[in-house]
Amino acid sequence: MEPPNLYPVKLYVYDLSKGLARRLSPIMLGKQLEGIWHTSIVVHKDEFFFGSGGISSCPPGGTLLGPPDSVVDVGSTEVTEELFLEYLSSLGESLFRSEAYNLFEHNCNTFTNEVAQFLTGRKIPSYITDLPSEILSTPLPTPGPCSFANPDSVSPELGPCPTEILAGLAGSARPFGQALRPLLDSIQIQPPGGSAVGRPNGQS
Amino acid sequence: MAENGESSGPPRPSRGPAAAQGPASAPVEPKIIKVTVKTPKEKEEFAVPENSSVQQFKEAISKRFKSQTDQLVLIFAGKILKDQDTLIQHGIHDGLTVHLVIKSQNRPQGQSTQPSNAAGTNTTSASTPRSNSTSISTNSNPFGLGSLGGLAGLSSLGLSSTNFSELQNQMQQQLLSSPEMMIQIMENPFVQSMLSNPDLMRQLIMANPQMQQLIQRNPEISHLLNNPDIMRQTLEIARNPAMMQEMMRNQDLALSNLESIPGGYNALRRMYTDIQEPMLNAAQEQFGGNPFASVGSSSSSGEGTQPSRTENRDPLPNPWAPPPATQSSATTSTTTSSGSGSGSSSSSATGNTVAAANYVASIFSTPGMQSLLQQITENPQLIQNMLSAPYMRSMMQSLSQNPDLAAQMMLNSPVFTANPQLQEQMRPQLPAFLQQMQNPDTLSAMSNPRAMQALMQIQQGLQTLATEAPGLIPSFTPGVGVGVLGTAIGPVGPVTPIGPIGPIVPFTPIGPIGPIGPTGPAGPGSTSSGGPPGPTVSSSTPSETNSPTSESGPNQQFIQQMVQALAGASPPQLPNPEVRFQQQLEQLNAMGFLNHEANLQALIATGGDINAAIERLLGSQPS
Repeated sequence: MEPPNLYPVKLYVYDLSKGLARRLSPIMLGKQLEGIWHTSIVVHKDEFFFGSGGISSCPPGGTLLGPPDSVVDVGSTEVTEELFLEYLSSLGESLFRSEAYNLFEHNCNTFTNEVAQFLTGRKIPSYITDLPSEILSTPLPTPGPCSFANPDSVSPELGPCPTEILAGLAGSARPFGQALRPLLDSIQIQPPGGSAVGRPNGQS
Repeated sequence: MAENGESSGPPRPSRGPAAAQGPASAPVEPKIIKVTVKTPKEKEEFAVPENSSVQQFKEAISKRFKSQTDQLVLIFAGKILKDQDTLIQHGIHDGLTVHLVIKSQNRPQGQSTQPSNAAGTNTTSASTPRSNSTSISTNSNPFGLGSLGGLAGLSSLGLSSTNFSELQNQMQQQLLSSPEMMIQIMENPFVQSMLSNPDLMRQLIMANPQMQQLIQRNPEISHLLNNPDIMRQTLEIARNPAMMQEMMRNQDLALSNLESIPGGYNALRRMYTDIQEPMLNAAQEQFGGNPFASVGSSSSSGEGTQPSRTENRDPLPNPWAPPPATQSSATTSTTTSSGSGSGSSSSSATGNTVAAANYVASIFSTPGMQSLLQQITENPQLIQNMLSAPYMRSMMQSLSQNPDLAAQMMLNSPVFTANPQLQEQMRPQLPAFLQQMQNPDTLSAMSNPRAMQALMQIQQGLQTLATEAPGLIPSFTPGVGVGVLGTAIGPVGPVTPIGPIGPIVPFTPIGPIGPIGPTGPAGPGSTSSGGPPGPTVSSSTPSETNSPTSESGPNQQFIQQMVQALAGASPPQLPNPEVRFQQQLEQLNAMGFLNHEANLQALIATGGDINAAIERLLGSQPS
């Protein structure tokens, strides 16, 4: 019995704030965040990620985000590309439909975590998956005049949005948290440059 | 959950307390463990003996998930569990989660679909260099250009593909099906710049393996590609989406009109069989089946070529015997040559019409033809399908650009061999014919089954009229009457086009008629009446339009009148007959017919045909 092929699985980690979170988070949130993480799984020479448009794929580093800020080796998998795509398409119809996207509860990192476990049995680093709860657990602010980016304007933009949020918060005297929840909930991140996976043509 | 994380990586023997030292030494007592099986959609817990094999596990799973065991693929810690393994072997212990993928029968995104898609894509690109150069250029963009302006937007269009060749296919498919997307892409400056480089485009096209195959089989394509003029023109057209649409439409038109030429259908069919069919079949998956499959089969079911021909001729049946038809044709040709002062197109058209009409008359009598004709007319969808084939369009375009080729094709049919005169007449007519087919109105008319049916009805009506009341049709030389309205026009002047148009009539009810509108102040009635006479009439009109002869106006007017009368429309609102027939009036005056009123009447009745008007005048003078 020949040994099955092992395919490496990598986790691409992007900081959507491009370093701004690291600098501004102590001021705005009261705690240090290293970044606003967006992750994707790279396997079989393709990058897969989940956004407001559902599961998408692109060549590694092929989204508008450019190359990842860091790469984590998740392990290896025997799962073939065919099997994986079938799995993804099932996921895309069930758990990771595009409308299921939620910035806090069910985001790209949720997807990556799920896929990583499927592929290798391992999870992604916890600092990534803990990010939403970190943000939400920041102390309540004193209500202050804050002007944030209009959440409605968030469509396929990325990066700027969480950063804008944070920047907008700079106006407030205190860090916030739950108060911003409704705003943040409406944010959807979808890095451009990918194509849909597991959805029939025309649906996203 | 932490267990999951830790048990990742190489499947070492589990670290649990009951963990075996190695795969070999499993505990004796078969402890029942609870393993969670997780699919993308659901999660179930299974209680199985610890030492069970994967096969047994799968059987239990298949019952719960209602699938067959060979459809199940179990994955744990990145490893695919094989049937002969045991759970212990992989370190699956109590409380752990195993992933399950249930293979579906048809793989939506399998590798297998990609080659066919690719074939379809590339055959498409091969056949329609214009539209496909767009696709190709667009498709080449995604590779390595993930952030291409236009491409980024496409990700949300639902293209489901992770593989780039498939992405290409899907993009192509989307492009072909969505004009808006095409427009979007075309307007992308990157795409435009790519398109403006013929060399690059050629390279792109040639680089495609399917294209290369196609080129091997059809060297003409390589000629096409290597001809810088053609390439440039192609790219020019490709750059301009509106123009491209227009071109494609014209192509469709031309091809459909081509059909009406005697033997045209044969030629088209040959074209289709030789070139399009393999491509279409290759592209079958992409285009949802060969749209022409039914056409081909139905056509072949009953001398496919014949019916088309007959149908085309239907409007031109010559109620008079062939000999008179021949005479009339001779007369017509003479008249035509004398009548049409301008472009050979009109004369050729006339000749063609006459010839066609004559021929039609002779073959129309065959009941078999008639039934076939009926079949075709009853199923305009066939024609429509044929017309809308993307490859047909390209064929038409190439034909119209290469009249020699078209002539060759069309004149090779047995129809022509039996009638060399017709052949000769047809030959020069082809360019004009093809030109006429460029009319987008024709295309729209052709694809309208009701319009085509109306045309047929008019044709039949005219035919009946001619037989029943020949006198009603003013001064028609024999063969003009009925469907041969074209012929009727023939003698009158550059009405010719009816010939080729005639056959086309069923296909292009409005096309020929269309020009009536712009060419003359024809009321909408003439345009809408469609029908055989209509198209024939209209067909003549375009030629008339094309050839600025003095008789074009009167012919038009006459046709309009006829059509309107037949359609029961309101009396034709013709422009001042005096204005229209001014030249003829002058001629009549010069000849000695000084009765202005009578002249005018005669001219109106004959539609501006001076000879016929003179006969009329002479006939009425005694009274």
